[in-house]
Amino acid sequence: MSSSPMEVDSQLANGSSVVAAAPATAPPSKSGKLAESLKLEHQLLRVPFEHYKKTIRSNHRAVEKEISAVISGVSAAADSELSRDEAVDQLSSLVSRLQGLKRKSEDGSRTEHLQAQKCRARLEHLESAELENMSEWNNTRMKRILVDYMLRMSYYDTAVKLAESSNIQDLVDIDVFLEAKKVIDALQTKEIGPALAWCADNKSRLKKSKSKFEFQLRLQEFIELVRGDNNMRAISYARKHLAPWGATHMKELQRVMATLAFRSNTDYSFYKVLFEEKQWDILADQFKQEFCKLYGMTLQPLLNIYLQAGLSALKTPFCYEDDCTKEDPLSQEAFRKLAQPLPYSKQHHSKLVCYITKELMDTENPPLVLPNGYVYSTKALEDMAKQNNGEITCPRTGFVCDYTEVLKAYIS
Amino acid sequence: MELNSIKDAFDRVTKKQKLSFSKSQEVIEQIGREIEQAFLRLQSEQDSASPSAHKLILNELKTKLKDIAPLSHLEGTQKELNVGLSKYPKLLEKSFNPDISKAYRNIDFDLHTVNQIIASHFYREGQFDIGDCFINESQELEAAASKSPFLEMFQILEAMKCRNLEPALGWAARNHDQLNQNGSDIELKLHRLQFVEILQNRGRDEALKYARAFLAPFATKHMAVFQKLMACLLWAGRLDSSPYAELLSSIHWDKLSAELAQQFCNLMGQSYESPLSVTIAAGVQGLPTLLKLMNVMTGKKQEWQTMKQLPVPVDLDKEFQFHSIFVCPVSRDQVSEENPPMLLTCGHVLCKQSITKLSKNNSTRRFKCPYCPAEVEAGQCAQLYF
Repeated sequence: MSSSPMEVDSQLANGSSVVAAAPATAPPSKSGKLAESLKLEHQLLRVPFEHYKKTIRSNHRAVEKEISAVISGVSAAADSELSRDEAVDQLSSLVSRLQGLKRKSEDGSRTEHLQAQKCRARLEHLESAELENMSEWNNTRMKRILVDYMLRMSYYDTAVKLAESSNIQDLVDIDVFLEAKKVIDALQTKEIGPALAWCADNKSRLKKSKSKFEFQLRLQEFIELVRGDNNMRAISYARKHLAPWGATHMKELQRVMATLAFRSNTDYSFYKVLFEEKQWDILADQFKQEFCKLYGMTLQPLLNIYLQAGLSALKTPFCYEDDCTKEDPLSQEAFRKLAQPLPYSKQHHSKLVCYITKELMDTENPPLVLPNGYVYSTKALEDMAKQNNGEITCPRTGFVCDYTEVLKAYIS
Repeated sequence: MELNSIKDAFDRVTKKQKLSFSKSQEVIEQIGREIEQAFLRLQSEQDSASPSAHKLILNELKTKLKDIAPLSHLEGTQKELNVGLSKYPKLLEKSFNPDISKAYRNIDFDLHTVNQIIASHFYREGQFDIGDCFINESQELEAAASKSPFLEMFQILEAMKCRNLEPALGWAARNHDQLNQNGSDIELKLHRLQFVEILQNRGRDEALKYARAFLAPFATKHMAVFQKLMACLLWAGRLDSSPYAELLSSIHWDKLSAELAQQFCNLMGQSYESPLSVTIAAGVQGLPTLLKLMNVMTGKKQEWQTMKQLPVPVDLDKEFQFHSIFVCPVSRDQVSEENPPMLLTCGHVLCKQSITKLSKNNSTRRFKCPYCPAEVEAGQCAQLYF
């Protein structure tokens, strides 16, 4: 097949442009892009695994504890002066205790198994992503991201509803967040117990990450005692629960201790803030951060991360013009508002979009210039010429010309 | 994605977990057996036996349990399991981007704005229950305003699924002028579909009546379509074996539903695709580049927070290209009103400033096009409008 002069021209243009411009690295292929996007899914695999790990560890601890309790029960029986009947009773109670343990550990293993299945379901979901089913897969990703947002903002009902309606329960972490919900709900009603219990449960890991969340909970509890004028109790509470943090957090410790003198009705703002209601909200936020860290989640909702990246990538000065196409998210006020503090995208290469068809004008659909300088795609003008006996009308100026008068433009 | 090594690592963990579980079951059973044996011996022991006999049994049991050393038995398998449990997350960190928030700017999105965007996303996707639930939970009551137009759209589309065109025709009639203005012929397409439907189900007379009432007004502008439809009347009852059989294809219904949704959104001043989905999809494509950038920018985090333009281009697929961008191949500058794109007589395009430079600011001085052997004059270059 012989190449038409047009093709030769464009090859020439392309060939020489490569020489003139710095040789651009080849754009990543479709499958390369897909692989890159899948690499963003760390959280999808990590969170259920952390959950699985946690269950395994706590089940194991429970087994160890029970076994040593049984063994020391035997030792105690052997070392004390029991009658035969008492000894029989003692042993039979140990036997039933062991049976209970066996059942419990079987239940525990079933939970572990279910969680392992969840981990596996996610691996399989990642593996299922292929170029052929991208739109469906992306749809699911959108829903996963929304469920993540709902869970983090404590919109649990919406999260559950959305997950159920699209059948993606295995791909979202509702069960994990229910654990957080208990603590957050309690903090919202100014109850500190569940948060402290959670700290105790995760003591070693919190310590490893040098978290001071427990200290902050203790400080709040102390403040509440001061608010209630329970000064003596406050002092003994401080001795027991605050003093151990002195070595590392002396300043904060001193500050709350001073509230004993200033009391809750102080006007001195440095101490007044400690008594404000919003301290509880701060604790709830703090808890969410600790919780996310522990499970290997990002600290911000996924939605915000992707939204930010997307807005930056899409943001151009043209988005803010009046004739911005409606298909551009940034034509909408809400999106413009979110994008306002974000950087503009940068372009190294020309990308021309046909005003009429909104399609990209590239070598397959090259740009054509009307005698008035307005540029449209070949496809658009060809169609127009076909429908109107070769006559072209410029949709932006009303200028009329013949299809034979248009010129090809070379964009490199 | 190549996940085999990760899957293998995970299988190793679950294997170890099973091993550890069966080991602990074994240990529990063993202890149970020993205690039960002692228990039976105690029970069968005669009352007459010496009072220290049961003490002996208990002591024997105690030593036996000590010899079994159940906890140290568990330790071994548990240790292996722990190795797996700590290795796997490390493998994940290595194979994936462990922290995708690295390129996140520390600015807080306005919560209400985000919630409103999400609410209207649910509505435009037809997930009305979820949208309502969300508005309720997030207390964004004013976001409900975006519901009713989409509700109407989905009612029209639902009816079309059951081959009921009445709501669609009603909508098209109400918006007749605007649709015309946009150059849309969707109203005719709806009537055409209805006409074929009537011809199939209610016969020639009804169809003819319908054509007179509703198709005739379109006849002058769309003569070919009109004539074709009138010809269909000849084949009433056996349209499927006529030259017009393709009019019966269900593809027309699907296509028209999609077109209707598009026109409907257009009239509302909305995009056809959910803007939230579009932005998130662009984010997924752009984020890998931004994360790579952050790896190079370590130590310049502050700069990142205040940057007005990204320092590198983010390559997005063409469906995200909404505006014409022309970058002058010579100066690498993005064109603007002051520095517009110009067409050389040979067909190559440069920015005005580049042409001024090449021609040494002389509109009649000939210079060679940087991209072909042609010699051109600056004065003959024409401004382009993309």
